[in-house]
Amino acid sequence: MDAHATALIGPGLNPVQPNRMVRFGMFTFLASEAMLFAGLIGGYIVLRLSNPNYIPAGVHLPVLQTLAATAVLVGSSFTCIWGERQARAHKRPTWALFITIVMGSLFLLNQVFEWSHLYHEGIWFNTYGTFASSFFTLTGFHGLHVFIGVLLLIAAWMLSLAGKFDGNNHNFLDCASLYWHFVDIVWIVVFAIIYLW
Amino acid sequence: MAAVAEPRPLESGVAPVALDPHVHAHHEQGIFRTYIWSHDHKMIAKQYLLTALFFLIVGGLLAMGVRYKIAFPNVPIYGLNWLLPSYMVSEEGVILPQMYNMLFTMHATVMVFFVVMPLLIGVFGNYLIPLQIGAPDMAFPFFNALSYWLYALSGVMILCSFFVDGGAAAGGWTSYAPLSNNAAYNLTQKGQSLWCLGIFVNGLSSLSGAMNYITTVINMRAPGMRMFRMPLTVWALFITALLLLLAVPVLGAAASMLYLDLNFGTHFFQASGGGDPLLWQHLFWFFGHPEVYIMILPAMGISSEILPVFARKPVFGYRAMVWAMAGIAILGFIVWGHHMFVSGMNITLSAVFSVSTMIIAVPSAIKTFNWMGTVWRGSVRFTTPMLFALGFVSMFVIGGLSGIFMASTPVDLFVHHTYFIVAHIHYVLFGGSILNIYAAIYYWFPKMFGRMMNETWGRIHFWITLIFMNLTFFPMHNVGLGGMMRRIADPTQYEHLRALQPINIFITLSAFVLGASTLIFFVNFFYSMFKGPKAPPNPWEANTLEWTLPSPVTLHGNFEKTPTVYHGPYEYSVPGMDKDFLPQDEPLKPEVKLGGH
Repeated sequence: MDAHATALIGPGLNPVQPNRMVRFGMFTFLASEAMLFAGLIGGYIVLRLSNPNYIPAGVHLPVLQTLAATAVLVGSSFTCIWGERQARAHKRPTWALFITIVMGSLFLLNQVFEWSHLYHEGIWFNTYGTFASSFFTLTGFHGLHVFIGVLLLIAAWMLSLAGKFDGNNHNFLDCASLYWHFVDIVWIVVFAIIYLW
Repeated sequence: MAAVAEPRPLESGVAPVALDPHVHAHHEQGIFRTYIWSHDHKMIAKQYLLTALFFLIVGGLLAMGVRYKIAFPNVPIYGLNWLLPSYMVSEEGVILPQMYNMLFTMHATVMVFFVVMPLLIGVFGNYLIPLQIGAPDMAFPFFNALSYWLYALSGVMILCSFFVDGGAAAGGWTSYAPLSNNAAYNLTQKGQSLWCLGIFVNGLSSLSGAMNYITTVINMRAPGMRMFRMPLTVWALFITALLLLLAVPVLGAAASMLYLDLNFGTHFFQASGGGDPLLWQHLFWFFGHPEVYIMILPAMGISSEILPVFARKPVFGYRAMVWAMAGIAILGFIVWGHHMFVSGMNITLSAVFSVSTMIIAVPSAIKTFNWMGTVWRGSVRFTTPMLFALGFVSMFVIGGLSGIFMASTPVDLFVHHTYFIVAHIHYVLFGGSILNIYAAIYYWFPKMFGRMMNETWGRIHFWITLIFMNLTFFPMHNVGLGGMMRRIADPTQYEHLRALQPINIFITLSAFVLGASTLIFFVNFFYSMFKGPKAPPNPWEANTLEWTLPSPVTLHGNFEKTPTVYHGPYEYSVPGMDKDFLPQDEPLKPEVKLGGH
């Protein structure tokens, strides 16, 4: 491991923890997050397989519009990587993070529109059997994760504005961006099983 | 003290840990940072200990209520009628079935999530992992503190659920749909919802703990502390943390769905809306079976630690012990279906689950034989922790054997919903986990609080516990095979059970003594904390690193100088050495060679 675990004695004493260890901890966290989604997605698959008319007649999901939103979210992962590289190269990732935040927010905004559209068509958690249950729960849980991701990125962006990334100390950005990539990958799975199946 | 550790050879690829010269600044921290929002793993362990012991009393009282109702279903308890609302207790003070459902549901919930898990993992995981691997603290002290406070918060939520309209959850700790997700059936809309939220928050607490343990064990071992030189407690807690990390989120997902079903009208588990009640069972037991091992593996680690110390012999088959635990953990993820044989299951699938379950007997037997091999021909010191650890081995054999009955589908069909399964679960959970929790508390108390617990009262506590747990739980096998169902408030309502009622009364009276025996422990615990004789650094003459430190360990960074580890943790009675134990940070004499690993 990194030359120093010095940091571990107490947070008040050591703001710097070894990068590798923080990354390792983040990966364990993401493993458990993955199991959370595995439970939700597993439930969706079981319910869907056991019901031939799963998506009720009259429900039309805006596949193309969501595909565009997916492209935006996936794209934001790349701008996030750009930001990480800049931080490693001792540059301020302010712009890269700003663009990532805007793209993430656009995705969220699209989801808000989609939910409100469905709501006005009379589709909500408690209607249309298990389709609506799974749809709102899965996209809701995922949307909540995107929202938290955006908050983390905003925090990283503010650190960047304040000039806190010095090439060695970018743990926070590292974690935020790992989380962001994870949220992105989960969305690809959710999009595939809800909109494309 | 030297502020910087000297450079040390890199064994196991772990860098030496230099101590920060500001360590002592911690002594100046205020009461809030020292006792409340502490980041020190030792203080967090103590917070967990006291909170979980409080919940032990809560869970124990609920159990007493359950037993009282079964033995004396129509005998009123005076005063209860003006303490509790009318849907719980009749006008005369007789416990009503709805309250009985609440009692057994919350007894199990409290014992599983608020007593056994926090005691084994929260207390000993926190206390032992850094000390035994030679680390200054956990990897993420902030998340460690967060873990405790999330646990406390979930505890408050569960306690509050008793006081909401309708009372606490009453659908069994397994919360099977459709009972759990229909307020019309369970009559505890709010209680069941709070149960879901409490379990979810409790899960977050487990996850912050698990994340910490895994990262700490992998990244923060002292020089020379190779993976296969770690004490078996650390191995057990490490494997348990992996189980927590992967199993608990699935319960989180299931509890969220249940919450939405109850409060937002979704239809996940609602057959009338196209949902599937069995889905709940699959999700719950996908978590639930690893959970069984989450509650027993740390206990196994504790007994594997205590037996060699008091037998003055190396543990028998160290590597086999590690692989057996890993085997149990992996198998634990593919056997959940054996909880669902009676829920309606494809017969081929049930055969598969039967076989995979029975295979678990193999690693479990390896461990049992190794424990016996460890004690075999040792010079055994029958101290209180040793007695509890030996008690565990014997009780675990009984609980393990009755588990084989349940693994076999044809037998399970008949005994699953009877008291036989209640007997089985208590043999493994009380005889297994709780006995080892007692063992661990008696064993590490001197290190945690700097004083010894009273041996005589410890032994009295042990014998009363052992005898009365058997008198309580063994006859449950008999009433179960006699046809008594689980979760019935009044057995005397059923004609075929009336003949069994004397046994039920016997069980209840034994349970009362068992419950009362806990008082001996509590008095001993709190008296010794303040008045017990001062403990030397290594009262048990043990090898692991925590015993090289003063009792209690007060330094926030634990070790003044990072220890170097020269050999495994169980080198007792090494021929040619001056004493019969060999702390891990003491090198062997050059002329002495170790056999084995």
